[in-house]
Amino acid sequence: MRKYLLKRVFYMILTLFLVATITFFLMKLMPGTPYSNQQKMTAQQIQIMNEQYGLNKPMWVQYLIYLGGMLHGDLGVSFQFSNQPVSYLIASRIGASAQLGIQAMIFGVVLGIIIGSVAAVNRNTWVDTLCTVLSIIGKSVPNFVLAVLLQFYIALKLGWFPIADWGGFSYTVLPTIALGVGPLAETARFIRTGMVDVLNSDYIELAKAKGLTRYGIVWHHALRNSLIPLVTLIGPYTVTLMTGSMVIENIFSIPGIGEQFVKSILTNDYPTIMGVTMLFSAGLVAVILITDVIYGIIDPRIRLSGSGD
Amino acid sequence: MKLNKFAKLGAVAVLSAVFLAACGSKSSSSSSKQVLNWDQTAELPTMDLSKATDRVSFDTLNNTNEGLYRLGKDSKVEPGMATKTVVSNDGLKYTFTLRKNAKWSNGDKVTAKDFVYSWQRTVKPSTGSQYAYLFSGIQNADDITAGKKAPSTLGVKADGDYKLVVTLDKQIPYFKLLMGFASFFPQNQKTVEKYGSKYGTASKYMVYNGPFKLTKWTGSNLSWTMKKNNDYWDKKNVKLSAINNKVNKSNSTGYNLYQSDKLDMTYLNAEQAKRLADSKELVTRRGASTFYLEYNQTKKEFQNKKIRQALSLVINRKQFTDKVLGDGSTVAKGLVASDMSKHNGKDFADEAEVKEATATDTAKAKKLWNEGLKELGVKELSFALLSDDTDKAKDSTEFIQSQIEENLSGAKVSVTNVPFKTRLDRSVKGNFDVVITAWGADFADPISFLDLFTADNTYNNGKWKNAEYDKLIESSKTTNAGDTSKRWDDLVQAQKVLLKDQGIAPIYQQAEATMVKSKVKGVIYNSAGANYNFKDAYIK
Repeated sequence: MRKYLLKRVFYMILTLFLVATITFFLMKLMPGTPYSNQQKMTAQQIQIMNEQYGLNKPMWVQYLIYLGGMLHGDLGVSFQFSNQPVSYLIASRIGASAQLGIQAMIFGVVLGIIIGSVAAVNRNTWVDTLCTVLSIIGKSVPNFVLAVLLQFYIALKLGWFPIADWGGFSYTVLPTIALGVGPLAETARFIRTGMVDVLNSDYIELAKAKGLTRYGIVWHHALRNSLIPLVTLIGPYTVTLMTGSMVIENIFSIPGIGEQFVKSILTNDYPTIMGVTMLFSAGLVAVILITDVIYGIIDPRIRLSGSGD
Repeated sequence: MKLNKFAKLGAVAVLSAVFLAACGSKSSSSSSKQVLNWDQTAELPTMDLSKATDRVSFDTLNNTNEGLYRLGKDSKVEPGMATKTVVSNDGLKYTFTLRKNAKWSNGDKVTAKDFVYSWQRTVKPSTGSQYAYLFSGIQNADDITAGKKAPSTLGVKADGDYKLVVTLDKQIPYFKLLMGFASFFPQNQKTVEKYGSKYGTASKYMVYNGPFKLTKWTGSNLSWTMKKNNDYWDKKNVKLSAINNKVNKSNSTGYNLYQSDKLDMTYLNAEQAKRLADSKELVTRRGASTFYLEYNQTKKEFQNKKIRQALSLVINRKQFTDKVLGDGSTVAKGLVASDMSKHNGKDFADEAEVKEATATDTAKAKKLWNEGLKELGVKELSFALLSDDTDKAKDSTEFIQSQIEENLSGAKVSVTNVPFKTRLDRSVKGNFDVVITAWGADFADPISFLDLFTADNTYNNGKWKNAEYDKLIESSKTTNAGDTSKRWDDLVQAQKVLLKDQGIAPIYQQAEATMVKSKVKGVIYNSAGANYNFKDAYIK
């Protein structure tokens, strides 16, 4: 297991290095400069600015300087937010995104498991149909539409929650729901399918024959086995939440990181593009590793085949 | 792009390990009377006035700091740090007497040295100011920004603590206007040096000499407050006790907050503006920014005046601004924006209007088009229309494309919508046929627009050339620089020359629809430079 982990970590670092390299050179291919007042600057002024920021150096020199800085934990200084270190920018805005993503994930997965199980146990009844219809709606309605509706009816009309802003738990409720409905629907669908399969298997018949209660069968036998496919789902979904949250963050005026990424690309803010990309990639490779480890814990067969080299 | 998606994917995972508590600021639902709750569409990126480039920064600087002058209604120059100004007969030397009762929020006195320090800092290449070009005309400024001379040679000197002497290389008729723009405000050397690279990156790393002090700004958050500055020299005339600013990037969110009285002003998108057209609280702010078609006149077909005129005459601008844009934007009268610059009570845009250049006349357009094609010896003409990739820009290209193709036989227009930076890059390199572009004025003088189209101007991407135009602009800067009326006439004539030749085809002047509560009074809005001045604002 240890050898397996070490090998995986090595690959992780290699992946990150490749991401940094490719992003750096692709980014430099984008037209334009990082100067927001570029339209009004003459070529000579742009030249002078480039000298100031070291952007006139050969690309490979810039690349080496960047890599060197990154190894020392220096991600550079943002152009959009002049003088602001990228690391500060990320640190100050990651909290809201992380909290929202995790809350939405917990909300979606927990409720999804419950709804999916209820549907499976009552399969082919009106309860099942209702749950299926709800998850289809949940899956097909874009989260920003839901966000706007929630904001208008629940916050503005009923006044139950704040309309927007970021200040305490009550501010997170509506964005969490808007963001969590997607994973909720997906989880419910997965759990229902998985559990219907499991409930039809022989060992469940055996459990029934032993005289176990319906609740006991679902809780102890069916659920655990239906959870395995869910692990595959959660990793990518945590990730999708992050991408989706840019829109939600804008609608609820949340100081998150989602929009910074897009904005940094549009404004050629090189250090921020690199910083956020590296953060996102590090997150992704970590998710993949964690998913694999969790898989091993729930299903010992996977651990054996994974480390058997 | 796949890479980005891949990259985006990852973030959460690391995050899931780092469960962080909620941060950010609480909304201050203060009900006390003199508090204004103001909407912002973007973050405040910096308070370092040498580095500011955007509207939010300039607006905030304009209210928390003060230069020699403050711009009042209609960009009229009002007293600021200066109490008296003496201009030499040749217009090349300005002597400002500063008020003795002006203080920084750290208790220091505002002195002439603060101006000298600030200006030298902005023109110094190592500062990296993107607005250093505004100093052009002040003695040695161009050489300093180019790195050829030391910043200390700049034509600005302190004569004692309260006298500032500025020497110009050439007359700058709008010099006083510039003094009301944040790039020319003073900076407290002690503060800049004390905070070093942190200077201007959060409200605590700054000092203020204006009507308000900035608080609760961390450098990247979405809300901040401007509190009344009790060290301000004219504090008795400042009525507001605080202005709470909130960034709302979604217009529907802004309007929801406005409806629930959490905001006293909010920006509307075109859809909302159309829906709220009859509201008494709707306030349309016209910006000093004009959108126009620029023709690439290095290409034979666009050197033909009749072709240029025909393309302009088919565009029904009124229909475009009312039906397509619907945000309060108005038909442009020329290159120079309306409501920006006045002389003897007359608006420049009215005086220098050439109706034909922005009129709609399809019959005439068809005639000119056919004549133009004949002169070129072709039966049809295909060209690309370049513009940005925002929704508004896409609506614009689509509309103009259809107007041209419907009305002019043999015209084939392909549309290219690209991101702003790419569009700029292609414009500068001359890699376009016709581009929908825009220009916004830095200061409220027609020259801020008209300088663009002199033959040697680097921003003249379409390469339109006209000797008479160049002569008029030159004369406004030299022979007639000191004579307001003659200079005005030069500029009026210059715009007429540009429009008569259809050097460009002005389309619309941008406006912004906002909702403002009727209890909010005295807010000054200027279309060029910093937009908002809250010094005299109050809640009724």
